[in-house]
Parts: sequence; structure tokens; C-alpha cells
Amino acid sequence: MWLIVALCAALVAGCQPRDDGTWRFGLASAPLNLDPRFATDASSVRVNALIYERLVEFDAQSMPIPSLGAWDALTPTHYRVTLRTPRDVFHNGEPLTSRDVEATYRFVLDPVNSSPHRGALTIIDKIVAPNDEQVDFFLTAPDPIFPARLTLGIVPARLIASGHRFQNSPLGSGPFKFAERPDENRLRVIRSADNQPVEFITVKDPTVRVLKLLRGEIGMTQNDLQPELVRYLEDQGGIDVIRAPGTNFSYLGFNMQDPVLSRRGVREAIARGIDRNAIIQHMWGGAARRAGALLPPEHWAGTADVPNYDYDPEGARRLLKQAGYGADKPLKLTYKTSSDAFRVRLATIIQDQLKRIGIDIEIQSYDWATFYGDIKAGRFQLFSLSWVGVKSPDIFRYVFHSQSFPPEGANRGRFSDSHADYLIEAAEQGLSLEEQAHYYRLLQFYLSYQLPYVPLWFEDHVYAGRDGFRGYAIAPDGNFSALRDVLWVGKTHAD
Amino acid sequence: MIGFFLTRLFSALLVVFGVTLIVFLLLHLVPGDPVEVMLGEMAQPADREALRHALGLDLPLWQQVLNSFGQLLRFDFGQSLFTKQPIVEMLAERIPATVQLALAGLAVALVLAFPLGILAALNRGSRWDYGAMTFSLLGVSIPNFWMGPLLILFFSVMLGWFPVSGKEGFASLVLPALTLGTALAAILSRMIRATLIEVLGEDYIRTARAKGMSEAVVILRHALRNALLPTITLIGLQLGTLLAGAVITEAVFSWPGLGQLTIDSIHRRDYPVVQACILLISVTYVVVNTLTDLVYGWLDPRIRLAGRAS
Repeated sequence: MWLIVALCAALVAGCQPRDDGTWRFGLASAPLNLDPRFATDASSVRVNALIYERLVEFDAQSMPIPSLGAWDALTPTHYRVTLRTPRDVFHNGEPLTSRDVEATYRFVLDPVNSSPHRGALTIIDKIVAPNDEQVDFFLTAPDPIFPARLTLGIVPARLIASGHRFQNSPLGSGPFKFAERPDENRLRVIRSADNQPVEFITVKDPTVRVLKLLRGEIGMTQNDLQPELVRYLEDQGGIDVIRAPGTNFSYLGFNMQDPVLSRRGVREAIARGIDRNAIIQHMWGGAARRAGALLPPEHWAGTADVPNYDYDPEGARRLLKQAGYGADKPLKLTYKTSSDAFRVRLATIIQDQLKRIGIDIEIQSYDWATFYGDIKAGRFQLFSLSWVGVKSPDIFRYVFHSQSFPPEGANRGRFSDSHADYLIEAAEQGLSLEEQAHYYRLLQFYLSYQLPYVPLWFEDHVYAGRDGFRGYAIAPDGNFSALRDVLWVGKTHAD
Repeated sequence: MIGFFLTRLFSALLVVFGVTLIVFLLLHLVPGDPVEVMLGEMAQPADREALRHALGLDLPLWQQVLNSFGQLLRFDFGQSLFTKQPIVEMLAERIPATVQLALAGLAVALVLAFPLGILAALNRGSRWDYGAMTFSLLGVSIPNFWMGPLLILFFSVMLGWFPVSGKEGFASLVLPALTLGTALAAILSRMIRATLIEVLGEDYIRTARAKGMSEAVVILRHALRNALLPTITLIGLQLGTLLAGAVITEAVFSWPGLGQLTIDSIHRRDYPVVQACILLISVTYVVVNTLTDLVYGWLDPRIRLAGRAS
């Protein structure tokens, strides 16, 4: 009996949160790929940005700003990037030179390597590194926003040549160096400035992530928390919750080739039938802001003046009546969404709101790949999705140009409009950012009228951490760059 | 016994082959394309085609099936489309965690189920019986995605006894094993109760008692041994399920097991990983069930004889 008691005591004693000085950060999904030349999932991109440095970063207006290098547009098709001094070094001590930049970009541009980032860089015609400090990018056409494309994490040329597996052993020049990855759910890095270890721990279930935070098994987490969990955390002592406006854009998409939804009046009725303020207030707990367009108002090509469709059920019913629908002939539509529980809840709210104006919505939820496959193939009437991490306005071509129907682009609703095409092309041909911004703003006004999407909201970013952590400032795009500056001022690292 | 074994082995191989083929075909029939998932929407069509060719996804389906089976027969599982990690390595990382959790869950289930089932059967209609069956009903009714967080809230957050989640040492195994084991114990205890009640009504039990044997000997040597047969079948089936990966429990407790890998790979349309996982799961099921059949045959000679006669 005493042996059992002793064993239990030992077990319990060994179960206190570890206090080995490591900061633990909870993630909702594991970084899939630690090689920046291939990584595309948000988790990988955010963690890789800590390990690898990039030529540019972005300011609050999503304008590119120099990071590893500053650029000069020598001609509209020739950009020269000069690496900053003092020279950066990789974590193995080797200096980072323009040869490494050249090799990284060449690798991605080589079709043999099947990098997912090649598509955004095909405007590059030639890369030349005339010396160790400078890299010349020659373009096939003028592109005033070209610097915004220089976001690849730079890896050493020598290791590229030797076929090094960065996925297993990442090596960059960023503020954090890779330490170990014991399993897919744990990734340890070390902050170079002060050798502070940080461990990223994947905990998919948001409730469990919150419980882990409360118990001190993780010290920080950001995003992927349901609003009710955020409210719960705000009521708990010892936990700091910070919200910041985000740029992830949620929208309701229409199939513009559908005979019913190709009618603008029906689309406007739906836009007026959705009470976005109520959803933001009650469902999001206020942790979102209404969207009028794909780009947030603070974006350098964004605008706050786009006409918005306020909740107007009477007006919506009137529009539906004009379109020939009413109590005797209700409009029936299908709405596809992913199987994510929160997204399904949102869909049911929209279903209920549209029911009140006389539209019967059938919700169809599928696993992500099936849902995404259906959307790309045009097998839908209504769907909801989000655009995440949008920085460059050239997304408008991919999303709304008539030549961007899948698989050529992401015009999922098959929106085909010659004036929208003209505005997109005029913006792209603008020789200055001001000129481009002008056309992109006109485009957003036009899209607001045509309504190929109903812009819903921009989700806020939410950080939650033990109250001993100081200095965590949420980045507009939700990256983890704040970890460079965060400090622990509490009693122990764990709690 | 050898004939019985060979028959079982042959049908097992057929099942594994059939399952693998069906899964392969279904995966390729459902919407979703790994190339799209890997390259994203902004990739050039030429890049997509190049990658599709490099992965062999542009071949006719029958050729992909043949290639895939050829690789599997050589035990060459290939590598993940996404992480580029050899699949054998991925499985080797996951299998120990899955086996550990499955065996721990089964142990918890057996420790709970036998006393509860026997107690309920011997005290039929009493408070003991109702208590045990109420526990059983709760265990069956409460889903693991609810039970897991409840256990975490009580034992981890309030009492601070065990880690919330993750796989770090023996302590982190306790709550997932309890979550899994409680549900299984509920099913098993009901089965043990029902079969034991039936056996206790048999003539040979009355004879054993009439011979003056102690109640303990009657129960343990005569009644329980005969009541075990259907229970063993159930344990075998459940163990197969547990070894296939307890997806929900693994998700709640961030347990790096086979179930999570399978589900994640299905979502990403990582075909080679899904195929390897399904093959492993079906082999596990078949092996466990074949072993169960063999044990069953060993315990009950009538089954062997019936097999021989037919």
C-alpha cells in the first residue's frame, strides 16, 4: 500500500509544469515544412520567418521595407538590392552574401524544383550577383511592387548545392536558430540575442490549448481561439489577452455563372440580408471589424470609403421581390463551407438571417480538401472562405480577372467583367505606387457595386499569455516577430 | 489447427489487399488534388503539370495502382508529398506512441471492466448492479472529446496531478489511457455481466455447486472461463480499433499517434502516407482478429472441430 502511495506521490511530483527556462508557445497546427523554399502553410511561414531572414519586411500599410537588403530601382525592370552592413551571418557562422540570395532565388525559379513560390516570381528574367554585397534582379516587365515579392527566406548557397535537407535541419540567419525537433508537435529554437530557448508546441484542440496555458504548460499562444475561449481567458487571473486588428479577410462568394446568382439584385439582397454587426458583436465577441473590400483600409492601396451594404431586411425582401421571389416562391440556395465547427456555426447564423428575408439555405460542409476542390471546380452556389496574409494588391488579378478562372488563378466565382479587367490591367501598368493605388481603389469601388463577393469582416488577431511576459506586440499579419523582443519579468519561467 | 490457421491467413491477405485497393481508389475519386494543396492557387499551370508528372499523378489510374502495389510489395512506402520525409520514418515515430496508448487504454479497461462486470452479475438487481451499469452507461454515452477535457480540467488544471497534453513521460499517458479505457471498460463490463449471468444459469454450474465447490472456484474456474469467450472476441476487435489510432483522444491530448497522422494526411491528400497508414491499420486489424480467432479456437475445441468438419 505504501509503495503505491509513494509511486503516486512521485508521479504527481513529476507532473508539475517544467521550469527549465524554456518559453513554450502553443500552435494550432504544426509547421509542415521548415524549408522556406517550399513552405506555404501559415504555421511554417511564421516560424520560418524567425529562423530565416528575408530581403524585405512590411510596415503597417503593407509597404515593403528593407530588411536584409535595401533596393534601388535602377530602371523600371532592373532592381538592385544591396545587403545591409554589418554583414549578416548564418547560424553556422558563415557570412551571408549576395551569392546566397542569388542561389536561393535561382533554386525557386528553377521549374525542376517545383517550388510553390515560383509562380509569384516568374516576372524575374535574370538574377546576377556582381559582388558579395549586391544582387541585380532583371524583370521581364516593369513592376513597381516588385520589392514586395522578395520575401523568400535566404538559405546558404553552399548547402543548396550539397542538397542539404533544410526540412530536417533548418539553417538561416534569422533571430532564432533551430535547436531540435523531437517530434512533429514540438520544435525548439533559441533566440540568438540572449540564448533564450523557445519551444513551439502544437495543440490542435483550442480548449486544451487554453487549459495548457492556464496550467502553465505553455506560456503564450496566438490566434485560432474561439471567441468564447478568449472571453473565458480574459476572466482568468494571471493571463494577459491582447487583441489587434488583423488583415485576414472573410467573404461570402457567389457563383457568378449560376442563373440565379448572376443577377446583381439577388446578390445585393443577400448582402443586405446579412447582419454583420450582430455576427461580429455576438459571435466574434467584437474581435473582428467589418470589411468593405479585400484590402483593409490602412493598406497603401486600400480605402475606407468603399460603399458598404448595411443590414436592411426590408430592402433585401424588396430586391428579392423584384427578382421574382417571395413567400409563394422562396429562393433556395446551397452554401458550402468547411467542416470546421466554427465555420459551420457561422454558416448556420447566415442561414438563419437569410431565412428571415425569404431565402432557404442548405448548408453543405465538407473536409477541407473536398470543399476546396468543389470551390475550385465551380461546384457551388454560395461559399465562404478567407484570404490570409494578403499584402500585395496584385491579388486582385488572381481573384477577379476574367483570365484567372481556376486553375489559372483564384477567380473561384467565375466573375467576368471587362471593366474590372481594365481597372486591374491599368493598375498593373501604373508606373508608380500612387498610380497603382488609384486604380486599385477605383477597382474596389467597382467591385463593391458588382458584388462578386460579400465582404464580411477582418478577423482580429488575439494573443494570450502568462502575465509575466512583457512586450508582445501583435504584428498586423499575425506573424510571431514579437518573440524577438518579448521579455519575461515573472517569478519563474513556467508560471 | 494448421488448416484453420492457413484458412485464416489466406482470408487475411485477401482483406488487406481489398482494403488497400478500395482506399486507393476512393482517395483518387474524392475531390481534392495534392498538387493544388502543395503549390497553392497562384502556381503556374506548367508548374502544376511538372509536379504532377514528377509525382506520377498524371499516369492512368490502373498504372498508379500497379506502381503503388509494386512499391508496397517491396515494402517501399516512399516519402511524404509534403514533408518529403520517408514514410517509414514517419510510421516508426508514430507506432510506439499508438501501441503505448492502446495497451495502456486496454489495461485500464480490463482493470475496470472485470470487477464491475462480475460484481454486477453476482449481485443482479442490487444496488451494486445498478451502480456498475450506470457507470457503464455513462462510459458508453460520454464521447471522448468531452471526457478528455473533463479529465484535464479536474486532474490537470484543478488538482495539478497530470500534464494537460503531450507525450512526455509516463504521467502524460495516464489521462489519455483513462479516457480511452473508460469507454472500453463500459462496453466490456456490460458484456461480462451479460455472459456471466447466462453462464451462471447453466446446469454445470449447478452441478459444480452441488459438488460442494466454493463459490470462488465456481465463479473463477467454471463460470468466468466460459464467459470469457465472447469477451475475448470483443477485446480483440477493440484492440484492433485502438491500434488503428484513437483519433479523437490523440487530438485532445496532442498524442503523436497513427490516427492523427492518418487524418492529417487524408486532409492534405498526402496519398502515399494515407496508403501506408491504411495498409498498416488493416494489417493490424487482421492480425489482431486472426490471433483472436486462434485464441478462440484454442479455448473452445468445438470451433476447431466445426472448422475441420466444414
